[in-house]
Amino acid sequence: MAGDESRMRLLKNSRERVKGQIPPLEFGSAGRRLDKEAFVKAIKELLPGSELLSRHHQVYEEGEVILRENQENRRLFVILTGYVKQLKKHDDFEIAIDLQGPGDFMGLLSFTTGQPVFTTARASGRVEVLRVGQSSLDKIQDSYPEISKVIQGLIFYNLSERYRRVVTLHMEIAQLSRELEKERNTLRNTITELEQTRNLLINQEKMATLGELTAGLAHEINNPASALLRSVDYLTRVLPEMAEQAGALPDTGMVRTFLEAGLNREVQSTDDQRNKMREIQKKYPHLNRSTVRDMAELNTEMLAKIDSFAQNSDKPRSLRLLLDSHQAGVFLGSIKLSTGRIGHLVKSLKSYSRDSRAEPEVADIRLGIQETLMIIGNRLRDIEVSVNLPEIPMVRCYVGELNQVWTNIVINACDAMDDTGRLYINCGTSANDMVWVTIADSGPGVPDNLKAKIFDSSFTTKTAGGEFGLGIGLAITRSIIQKHSGTISVRDRMGGGAEFIIHLPVYKKI
Amino acid sequence: MSTIYILCVEDEPEVLDVVVRDLAALEDVFPIEMAVSAEEARQIIKEIEENGDKIGLAICDHVMPGDKGVELMIEMQNEPFTERTRKVLLTGQAGLDATIEAVNHARLNRYIAKPWDPENLMKVAIDELTTYVIEAEKNLLPFMSSLDARRLQEAIRARGSISDY
Repeated sequence: MAGDESRMRLLKNSRERVKGQIPPLEFGSAGRRLDKEAFVKAIKELLPGSELLSRHHQVYEEGEVILRENQENRRLFVILTGYVKQLKKHDDFEIAIDLQGPGDFMGLLSFTTGQPVFTTARASGRVEVLRVGQSSLDKIQDSYPEISKVIQGLIFYNLSERYRRVVTLHMEIAQLSRELEKERNTLRNTITELEQTRNLLINQEKMATLGELTAGLAHEINNPASALLRSVDYLTRVLPEMAEQAGALPDTGMVRTFLEAGLNREVQSTDDQRNKMREIQKKYPHLNRSTVRDMAELNTEMLAKIDSFAQNSDKPRSLRLLLDSHQAGVFLGSIKLSTGRIGHLVKSLKSYSRDSRAEPEVADIRLGIQETLMIIGNRLRDIEVSVNLPEIPMVRCYVGELNQVWTNIVINACDAMDDTGRLYINCGTSANDMVWVTIADSGPGVPDNLKAKIFDSSFTTKTAGGEFGLGIGLAITRSIIQKHSGTISVRDRMGGGAEFIIHLPVYKKI
Repeated sequence: MSTIYILCVEDEPEVLDVVVRDLAALEDVFPIEMAVSAEEARQIIKEIEENGDKIGLAICDHVMPGDKGVELMIEMQNEPFTERTRKVLLTGQAGLDATIEAVNHARLNRYIAKPWDPENLMKVAIDELTTYVIEAEKNLLPFMSSLDARRLQEAIRARGSISDY
């Protein structure tokens, strides 16, 4: 429809422009003006009384064919009332060439030259004509000399009108192609602008994702970094003291035992710790609370070993030394854990943000999913994540870009669930050499009327001033998946929420 | 005399451990209770109340599974038992909204950003506990050695009596 409209507009434009360049046809000199209307009127007046004319008077009803293209014609037609469409066959359909009215001649060319009829004439409404062969035409001219001259003039007028029409058409075509060219240039510019805007939006969205990731990473790194710093602080303070007092113990091997116990300590719940503190306080009422707290960290074996020192209030230094040894071990363990966590994070980050301009690689997409979950872990704190990723064939892909896909969908799910709920991630292989990944959430789901729209770049549920992003993440997601010759769709999860399904082609060795 | 507790709420055990360790010097006077969630904190508050003790200071992380730190603090502000408790938000990640909410509705007294400086945390704890005992305790003398002695003396002088309002 839109195409038709713009074509009609173009045609109208060029027609109007051409009209101004060709003056209307004036024919005959003043006082002897050839007037189609007067001519028709004269014939109509003669008709009732003229047996000769009446014999050639013919009526056609709506849609009736008066002349058929490519057939022979030996008669001349003059339209008296109504209008006739001139049609020309082109391939499988007819193109309307012209509309003729009262005073116009039809069959003129085939009648005078004997060539087959050039265009089909079909009645548009009821049409009255005068239909005459050569001999009848001669007779009429003899019988009615006053109209004979008019007829000749009109025939000439008719022919020149047709010639003018051809010229006009040529000019219209020229004008039309100029307009078309202009339109095409405008379109080309618009497309360039749109592409630039699109790239800009994609970049902004990428920056937004980056913002989200950075916030998450800052949090993820902050905690182990704080723990590291504090552990080192503590060890710096306590180690020299320990070294000084090691001699106070009857058995220096105990320092090592407690250190190792601290290093391998199992984290207990605060509730267990509280209960343990109560018991210890009851057993050793003379000990102060921070000592009791330190003792509550010991396992049963160490508690037994330290008992004699705790009972004996004469040896606070030995007790302190053993507790410090244990605590030093705990902090060493914490240092190990924290550095491990930071190291793991950095490794994930490196692999997550692999250069997307590089060549695609053959990869196990499950790794990317796991790295993504690790990096945006802080968004998943209140979300129960159920990941079930059995082995699947390799996929040739841009790992960094696919990671953006997982990030977008998971963050989308978090947004939809307001950061509380359940997330299900599964994968598998389908029959047609595709691997599939589903990411489902327990959020409100996507309403049916929006399911087709959410992947459009013009669609967003985010309002202005939202925390991160423009909300065109899913549009970018789809374009990445399409680039990988895959598909993405959304459906309702059984039991509520939305489920995104991604299919990607399995890599095949050539 | 009833005991005045310090309550620390932080979901990550290692971080919680460090907070407690940083405040260990206060523990002989103000025992520390630890909770890894708002739910556990509520349980502890209930126990302390039932024992006839008090909570002078609550140090709370904001980002935690379940109820957030700010929610817990607002709740404490609305309970007569914990209304006077000094409230400190210790967090790396509370957004502006959460912080504004905490200031407006929980009468948040301090905001400490992670990672924190242990000396600063100690100073804040002493400051807040000093304010608490001045507001809530009749006898300020037992706190002279562990809290801000100058402010306590001023308060005693202003009251004009040692053990009375």
